Amino acid sequence: MKIKIKDKVYEVEIYELGEEKVKIIVNGKEFIFGETVEEREKISAAPLTIPKRSFTKKEIKAPIAGTISKIFIKEGEFVKKDQKILILSSMKMENEIVSDFEGKVKEILVKENQNVKEEETLIVLT
Amino acid sequence: MQNLKTELPKEAKVKMRTKFSSPCKIRNFKILPSTNQKAKELALRGALPWTVIVAEKQTGGYGRKRTAWFSPRGGLYFSIILPRSKIEDLQTLTIISAFIVAKTIKENFSLEPLIKLPNDVLINSRKVCGILTENVIGKEVKSSVIGIGLNTNIEKFPKDLEDSATSLKIELGREVDNKKILEQIVKGLKEQLKTISE
Repeated sequence: MKIKIKDKVYEVEIYELGEEKVKIIVNGKEFIFGETVEEREKISAAPLTIPKRSFTKKEIKAPIAGTISKIFIKEGEFVKKDQKILILSSMKMENEIVSDFEGKVKEILVKENQNVKEEETLIVLT
Repeated sequence: MQNLKTELPKEAKVKMRTKFSSPCKIRNFKILPSTNQKAKELALRGALPWTVIVAEKQTGGYGRKRTAWFSPRGGLYFSIILPRSKIEDLQTLTIISAFIVAKTIKENFSLEPLIKLPNDVLINSRKVCGILTENVIGKEVKSSVIGIGLNTNIEKFPKDLEDSATSLKIELGREVDNKKILEQIVKGLKEQLKTISE
């Protein structure tokens, strides 16, 4: 199997070793994982770029799919540009989402521990 | 500010040139609440990419969901301010960093580390290293730091961790050189990020 990242092509071979272990050979280098192939497939499915956003609406969208782990604002609150809005956990990275705009929080469309898709609207400001 | 008081004098700041391009600036601290927290602060204040924050001890080290990371003196705790990169490169780098840590352990000490995807490294089924990447994202990625906690010269873990954590010292029966390990990991990360980003 070949995987292309930017212009570089990686030759990848995957072998199941049992006991939920997987051996992956990338360009001849061997790596052994303790997780299942499904986990790896989730990684392969990671988004390629941050989605383009609409700046006509004051909406804060999920830049990548993940889980909302913490929300720092409340409806009715006034937020400043670059204010910390929420934490979106994705692929075991913690992503602090900050506001692109200033405005009053009109609607919070997500809850903590909720899974969200890429580009899903999280917060609407007025 | 509490953190600044703990910073060593300027002479303690070391420049390390890696194979590729610009030097890494290593900033050593005796004690910090968290190297990731300090790196995030410095990144937002304009610190250059590849600034490496190292603490001999963390008082509030954390992993995902703010789970505590046991960080006594002896361990290797550091965070790297990364160049602004695409999200997918950062995800890849988080995973690759586990490879690099495992490779460094294997090559230096003949131990058999196992990578638990995407960000833990185990030896004999016990965690020896945890990795946490934190990004600040607005309409673009504003800053990214990757934090690595490697249990190097830790002699003993608290009761609640002794079945799930280990250290290189426990596995080898001797101390290891934190500075050498740090340099190898940083150099490896830099080379890999160059590969995936260019």
